[in-house]
Amino acid sequence: MYKAPVKYVRILFVFVSVIAATGFRQQPSIYQTTNGQIAFRSDAPLETIKAVSNDLIGLLDINKKNFSFKIDVHSFKGFNSPLQKEHFNENYMESDKYPYASFSGKIIEDVDLSVDGTYEVRAKGNLLIHNVTQERIIKSNITVKKNVITVNSGFTVLLSEHDIPIPKVVYQKLADEIKVEVNATFEPR
Amino acid sequence: MKKKFQLLFVLLILCSVKSISQDVNLDSLLDTEEKAKNQNKTQRTIATFKTTRLIDGHTVETTQGGVLDLKISHRFGELNDGFYNMFGLDEASIRIGMDYGLTNRLTVGGGRSSYQKLYDGFLKYRLLWQSEGKKNIPVSVTLLAAAMFETDTAAMKNEKKISTSPSTADKFSYAYQVLIARKFSPAFSLQLMPSLVHENLVDSSATSNDIFAIGAGARLKLTQRSSFSIEYFYTIPGTRLPGTYNTFSIGYEIETGGHVFQIHLSNSTGMTEKTFIAENYGRWSKGDIHIGFNISRVFTIRKPKDMKM
Repeated sequence: MYKAPVKYVRILFVFVSVIAATGFRQQPSIYQTTNGQIAFRSDAPLETIKAVSNDLIGLLDINKKNFSFKIDVHSFKGFNSPLQKEHFNENYMESDKYPYASFSGKIIEDVDLSVDGTYEVRAKGNLLIHNVTQERIIKSNITVKKNVITVNSGFTVLLSEHDIPIPKVVYQKLADEIKVEVNATFEPR
Repeated sequence: MKKKFQLLFVLLILCSVKSISQDVNLDSLLDTEEKAKNQNKTQRTIATFKTTRLIDGHTVETTQGGVLDLKISHRFGELNDGFYNMFGLDEASIRIGMDYGLTNRLTVGGGRSSYQKLYDGFLKYRLLWQSEGKKNIPVSVTLLAAAMFETDTAAMKNEKKISTSPSTADKFSYAYQVLIARKFSPAFSLQLMPSLVHENLVDSSATSNDIFAIGAGARLKLTQRSSFSIEYFYTIPGTRLPGTYNTFSIGYEIETGGHVFQIHLSNSTGMTEKTFIAENYGRWSKGDIHIGFNISRVFTIRKPKDMKM
């Protein structure tokens, strides 16, 4: 009759320990975006093609300075006609087979992103488009303000580097060099 | 002793929790995040077929809202016409028509064929869209209603064995189809098309005015921009018009930007539902085979809302 309370105290002690342990984990080191914007543009002699998606998701760990981005290729809107969008998905990106494009890696510079300010960094990582991975170093601007991190970046993608051939008949309408712009706001996860 | 165990237990928990937090893999964490996000999304299957026509008949595809699709189709004469007629190339049956997407689901269209000097008009509505994700729909279903008006009265009198000129009402025929298709893989799509053709005028009271048929078609992608297609309409025997045969066609299609070019072999001369489902007098076994082609060119007349950035 005397032992029971001790048992309860012990169980309680274990629970408190677990909660405390998980509590310590909660340093806000991982930041997240779920509606980042990614836009691309092809400037060819006869046609300009533009498309945008607001479905970019990304994670950024400011302690380890690594990051991971992912975009559903089907989510791009814009284009010059519905047929063009269909061709983008069916013939060029093959979105049914390769539904995602991604970029993940590490920030090269030793910056402290827990401090407010504007930083120009280089992000080194693997860019996966159309099932072809290319190692890239992409310059980005990072703004930290009151626990909100904004990432801005512009870079180019060569279709030929990602095994996306341009048929002869559309040489004048589709550029090999595609300009990409990324705009994402990260908040603590 | 007990206390020691307790302490060890707590330490173990602490360590395991700590190690979980340290080994966070951003990539896999992102995958989990993506999955959670996708639970509320529905992904429609695109490009079950390259265009709104398989060979002669319609596919489940509708013209996208605000898009005008100009179609020019040819069927040359029959291969068994011999060398003198250049195996059919000397003569051609032609249909010029247009499809316009009122919305992504509703298409209105029409055309004029040289064969039977025929005018046709149709409405086409996409009832179901094959989808994955939150809403899971295994097939696409499209309804088609078409009206055809034949103005070649001399040919009509001959075909229907009548001596007086047919009345305006007699010249009308109608077709109704339920198109059911599934894209099984990026390379393979299959379609079934139960069909009903109603002809206001037939040759005798013993002949049914309603012709029932079941059609089947498929598309097999050969390369990124070309595919092989096949189409067959089987007329239910009791409702078949005398002297007519089932239509069978095979084709090859290639697309270049805004154009789709289809070339095929078919035993049907006509390119409207009443002619290729109900009134096909050609037979493959006799060599009544037509070389034919369809050209489709799309123009964006009005930019749909979901295209705007």
